[in-house]
Amino acid sequence: MDRTRRRVTRREILQDAALAAGGFALAGLAPEVWAQTPKLGANLIGRLEGPELVRDPAKWPKRFGEAPMLAELVKQGKLPPVEQRVPQEPLILKPVREIGRYGGTLRRGFTGPGDSENGNRWVSADKLLFWDYTGNKVMPSVAQGWLLSEDGKSVTIYLRKGMKWSDGQPFTADDFVFWYQDIYLNKDLVPTPNADFMINGKSGSLRKGSDTTVVFEFPEPNYLFLDILAGSTSMGGGQALWQMEGRTMGAYTPAHYVRQFHPKYIGKDEADRKAKAAGFDGWVAYIKNRWDWRLNPDLPVLTPWKTVTPINNPSWVMERNPYFYEVDTAGNQLPYIDRIVMTLAENLEVLNLRAIAGQYDLQERHTGMAKIPVFLENRDRVGYDLHLDPALNGSDATLHTNQAYSGDPEIAKWLQTADFRRALSMGIDRDQLNETFWLGIGVPGSIAPAETVPYSPGPEWRKKWATLDVAQANSFLDKIGLSKKDAEGYRLRTDGKGRLRLELMTAAGTFIPQTQIGEMIKEQWKKIGILADVKEHERSLFITRVRSNEHQIDMWANDGSEVLFLFPRHALPVDPVEANLGYPIAVWYASAGTQGKAPKDPELLKALELFRTANGKKVQERYKVAQEIWKILVDQVYSIGTVGQSPATMGVRVVSRKMGNIPERQINAQHCRTPGSSQPSTFFFKG
Amino acid sequence: MLAYLARRLALAVLTIWAITVLSFVIIKLPPGDYITSYIAQMSASGGFVSEAEVQALRREYGLDQPGYVQYLRWMTMVLHGRFGVALEWKRPVSEVIGDRLWLTMVVSVAAIVVTWALAMPIGIYSAVRQYSTGDYVATFVGFIGLAVPSFMLALILLYLGFKYFNASIGGLFSDRYAEAPWTLAKVWDLARHLPLPTLILGFAGTAQLVRIMRANLLDELGKPYVVTARARGLSEWRVILKYPVRVALNPFASTIGYLLPYIVSGSIIVSLVLGLPTVGPLLLRALIAQDMFLAGTIVLLLGVLTVVGTFLSDLLLLWIDPRIRLEGKQ
Repeated sequence: MDRTRRRVTRREILQDAALAAGGFALAGLAPEVWAQTPKLGANLIGRLEGPELVRDPAKWPKRFGEAPMLAELVKQGKLPPVEQRVPQEPLILKPVREIGRYGGTLRRGFTGPGDSENGNRWVSADKLLFWDYTGNKVMPSVAQGWLLSEDGKSVTIYLRKGMKWSDGQPFTADDFVFWYQDIYLNKDLVPTPNADFMINGKSGSLRKGSDTTVVFEFPEPNYLFLDILAGSTSMGGGQALWQMEGRTMGAYTPAHYVRQFHPKYIGKDEADRKAKAAGFDGWVAYIKNRWDWRLNPDLPVLTPWKTVTPINNPSWVMERNPYFYEVDTAGNQLPYIDRIVMTLAENLEVLNLRAIAGQYDLQERHTGMAKIPVFLENRDRVGYDLHLDPALNGSDATLHTNQAYSGDPEIAKWLQTADFRRALSMGIDRDQLNETFWLGIGVPGSIAPAETVPYSPGPEWRKKWATLDVAQANSFLDKIGLSKKDAEGYRLRTDGKGRLRLELMTAAGTFIPQTQIGEMIKEQWKKIGILADVKEHERSLFITRVRSNEHQIDMWANDGSEVLFLFPRHALPVDPVEANLGYPIAVWYASAGTQGKAPKDPELLKALELFRTANGKKVQERYKVAQEIWKILVDQVYSIGTVGQSPATMGVRVVSRKMGNIPERQINAQHCRTPGSSQPSTFFFKG
Repeated sequence: MLAYLARRLALAVLTIWAITVLSFVIIKLPPGDYITSYIAQMSASGGFVSEAEVQALRREYGLDQPGYVQYLRWMTMVLHGRFGVALEWKRPVSEVIGDRLWLTMVVSVAAIVVTWALAMPIGIYSAVRQYSTGDYVATFVGFIGLAVPSFMLALILLYLGFKYFNASIGGLFSDRYAEAPWTLAKVWDLARHLPLPTLILGFAGTAQLVRIMRANLLDELGKPYVVTARARGLSEWRVILKYPVRVALNPFASTIGYLLPYIVSGSIIVSLVLGLPTVGPLLLRALIAQDMFLAGTIVLLLGVLTVVGTFLSDLLLLWIDPRIRLEGKQ
């Protein structure tokens, strides 16, 4: 860094003012910190680790322990002893470092009733199956085992004998049957079948094998279904996530509780009467409210903590579930921590400043990469550690070209030309972006996921068309017929209507400063004679414009694309909800060709066809299919990757030094429900 | 007189109706609706929504119906005294606002008191001692107060407070008391948190008021009745406070109408920066989330308060100023 004095321009002063206003007075701190620690990012990224499952019965604990607050209740006769509360075969976890101590209240910040994921992720142990801390291996969770049939047409899951809901009632296969028969097949609650529970447009079904076995069946091979049960999907994502905010999925529900609001069991009149009495329009709205774990403290759950003060209050408070099914290697029932209290922060700056001031014990959500210098400056004084958890997705700021754009025929033609897209990609100086916006921590390159992911096409695809090469970019553009330039060096349209102007749409208020990144790319593209207009939109307007197919190129992270088959929407146009590569194409794909518009590009068509076959393929073959798809996507550059595998999203973790069993680095990926795979139930206060 | 009042009242009702239409239209103006903003929020925070859910949610919230049907539904509810359920908060709007309403009033009233308590004496002083050192200092500080955006001041004070005084960040309560029932200790906790927002909110207002007071008073001080009063040998304090200051206060009386809405939602941005649990941030969020019921109700409330406030200050002026009374009669 150039530390010599020079005159400060007016523009710089304005920038500083903007920074101070938006970025909490980072000014003045950053340069010193950077100068001292050039490899700062690398120092903060530790070893990937997490709790391990104990599978060997010889090592299972013989006796159980419990939290003092529960022991007290047992003594008073208000709660049965711990041996009767945990299942006969609990999930046994070896904590990442040591056996923890019971007790304590964990303080966190949340941003309001829309911030459900803040809590959902912490209680994701109510998933049927899960991923281990590496994110690559399926492990038991609520279900203790599974069996995928040889023909791929059925998956059997084995529940834990003696497992109980948080109110002490038994959790059995009947809770699945109730969900399937009375919720999923009820047209008022689930009007259209769910894609995660279908194969090639045909619905799956569910039946009870015994009290502790549940069988999911499909008319065609569906090998992917095991991943779906382990992933953050509507079938495997768990009760907390999939029965909140009006959702109706999750594969099981507390039948004994929900029944009292269901018309089949109490009659429609009575159900509606109850709803009206509680202030709801009808039974559908009421039952959805009653099974929302964030809103209803009475709801029986399987999660480590359950809500005691609902999310729509100034604090969202959770308390331990006395019937939770996990124990540590010494037989102590988890979780260690008694309570989680999240306090409402009206805005992200206040939340970050509170984290900096040590008012939170553990915060990995909403803490921003841009605040890292201030976190570092205060960590010793306040007493917390900073961990960075890079994600696995290839690019946090991805430029998606709309392959179905039709607003301007000439632009549409270029967006659908591979060499044009490649030239745009080679015109980007990713190192400059990385240094400026990712503090040098990110990995520059294409959109392909990290090489540790089995779906990765291999390291050579990281650089493909994704390094700065102005000469080649210019020659590509000249070759495809954009050789004419104006006096300022910008390329001209071929229809004689002046400069070729591309519109680059960014969203406001995202985890990374999209618009500033866009502006820098705009500057870089000048060297290849391309003029871009960067247009920032409020987030919901951004989504609206994508859904009405108005954008040419937009910027969004490709998070989640590392598990291509579980969350494809940031890589492929298959889901109309978010279809950055073209809404009509996504509609076409999702409707199996009955609506929308098929892509013209044969390579994109091929990628989509490959994707369609994946459900029916076994795991090793599926890896190959994914690699094929990634090769097409990287080679064709429908989406231009910039810098990724960074801690931009939920990867800046501020942890009080009072806390134990904290992994140096935790997996940061959507299917792992970060910090879910780190098993927050094993975190504790050292005292 | 009565006819004048009746006419004002009829106009007020009409205005309120126009406000309901306007607030509905304004909230509906941006493209998309609560559901698109919900999708946006979910996808920006690592969650996601499926297409089937999108359709189901739209139906559930009645967002698939045409605008005028939604307006009529809303108005029917409002006329029955119900304001609907806040979409994001999943609680009745009256409850969501009610929680914050009186805290908002505490902060605003405190800010107004501070503003007036500071501005009046300073304004009087700088008018009476025009061009004195004190006047220059007050003018200088006043202009700075006017020029510095209060959110900026809030940010700086927040950061300094954290860095040098280890003050707790934002909010009106410490963690311990946020959820606690009301006790003396909690009131004390609130009182300890009040000075910062009160001063920040009061600063800009004070500066403005000092200038107005100074200018008004300067107009009056040179008038013959002041000279007469002095000639009669009244004490200087009595001369100034009893006559010119009273006249100079007149313009304040007529703007009292705007104080009412200010009390409920003054200074949205400062509240946001300081993380105050007041109505302001609630309104901003509701607008961003396009939560029709919550935003509509707050805007409506503000509209009604403005109308009522204006009506009140009309009455006040009517009482103070005979010229207006005469006009009313004609």
